[in-house]
Amino acid sequence: MLYNVLRVIRCFYQSQHACSVLTIAHSLRQSGIFSTMREVNIKGASGLCTLVSDGQSEIPQSVSDSENMGKSFFSVQSTPEIEKKYVHHVYDAIAPHFSSTRFAKWPKVATFLSSLPSGSLVLDAGCGNGKYLGLNPDCFFIGCDISAPLIKICADRGHEVLVADAINLPYRTDFGDAAISIAVLHHLSTEIRRKRAIEELVRVVKKGGLVLITVWAVEQEDRSLLAKWTPLSEKYVEEWIGPGSPLARSPSSLPLESIPENEDNGSRDHIEDSMEKMHETPHLTSESKYDSLSLKHEKNTKNQQEYFVPWHLPYHRAEVSGASACALANGLAKKDDKKGAVVYNRYYHVFSEGELERLASGIDNAVIVDQFYDKSNWCIILEKIL
Amino acid sequence: MKLLTHNMLSSNIKGAANGFPLRIEVEKATEKQVELNAGFLRNVFPIIEWKALVDAAQLPEVADSSMLDSDNFLNKFHNALLELHLEKDALVCPETARRFPVSQGIPNMLLLEDEV
Repeated sequence: MLYNVLRVIRCFYQSQHACSVLTIAHSLRQSGIFSTMREVNIKGASGLCTLVSDGQSEIPQSVSDSENMGKSFFSVQSTPEIEKKYVHHVYDAIAPHFSSTRFAKWPKVATFLSSLPSGSLVLDAGCGNGKYLGLNPDCFFIGCDISAPLIKICADRGHEVLVADAINLPYRTDFGDAAISIAVLHHLSTEIRRKRAIEELVRVVKKGGLVLITVWAVEQEDRSLLAKWTPLSEKYVEEWIGPGSPLARSPSSLPLESIPENEDNGSRDHIEDSMEKMHETPHLTSESKYDSLSLKHEKNTKNQQEYFVPWHLPYHRAEVSGASACALANGLAKKDDKKGAVVYNRYYHVFSEGELERLASGIDNAVIVDQFYDKSNWCIILEKIL
Repeated sequence: MKLLTHNMLSSNIKGAANGFPLRIEVEKATEKQVELNAGFLRNVFPIIEWKALVDAAQLPEVADSSMLDSDNFLNKFHNALLELHLEKDALVCPETARRFPVSQGIPNMLLLEDEV
């Protein structure tokens, strides 16, 4: 997935800086690390599923070479189809709308960041719209996310960011003072990848550095929300993880349970948005709503951890982004005329009690210094010891 | 992209034992003013690979932390690390020559399927 420049940036050279820039450029050429300035052309990568902003769509082409298929299937760094379709492409399509709903700073994260020593370098892996970048003005933040549209939003706000994969951070080892991963790991579809992401967070901080991780919990404070999610069978998830799986080539054959259409559809948006906010805002006091439907669902979903969680992108937002046209064509999204929204599904593996702790315990060079449950999220703080 | 970020970035492509530092091919660079935070500069100095920073900006060839007491040096270090802003360029893996693009100041470090 390569980042395409969508518009030309006009660069203003201030007169007092023009001289120094030219001087630097000259010495750069002389030093050898810089080559002569020339146009850099980046060709689109073949063999990848991309939803480009001009509305064209490319059906995902699995790697046809069987040797490569074998290699990429077993590589922990290779992105499974379910994540490409139901995480990456969704966030790319909903980025501005998603960003507009991400504003409340979760107190637990704010406390962690504010308590870091002054002058710390903080790495945010999976920074989304950059909500936490710069939260502590005495620290310097570098953020990365796999979604180029979200990163563009961060950059427009003046943050130092890059497009990268949390499974394979392009960072030197032992560089940062702290790292955070806020509501990211639950989008990874295998345990190996989830563990790898934690290992990467630990790797990139220095000895003594702290890592804060938060993920959505199975144990949701508002049980009625689970009824809005689509549970995925294990078999379904397995079939989606391999790049060569038949489902990857024929999205129309999804054995997806349709989101039940019932009388309270009108309130779905509100509930969904408030669910999103609940995970991020402190003020919601949620009393569990136990009706017969929720209880039955709860019994069935006791061990259920794989879900599609809907995102309703209002039509006017969808038109602006342009990506929804091909998402609908590909079967990745559905129209809901009653609500005037394109409905996307996001893949989640919600964490059960102790799961995050178990994953982190398996990492040799870090220890758990704190763990807690807060607002339907499991949270953990690690310290790198070696 | 600031040179602080460049000092951290490493090519993690399959086949590269050491993907640091990335060679820079600059096309467009600007300067953006950033408030100087001496505490941050002192904290980050030990982790900076000095040669990589020197090659990317105008700085003395050799540096040690005692130089941070000099305002002159502190300002040069700050300017190079945080104020130089590379808008458009390519970061080139020192071992495989794979190019990672930087556009609108944002590096894209994502690898392709056959590169992991």
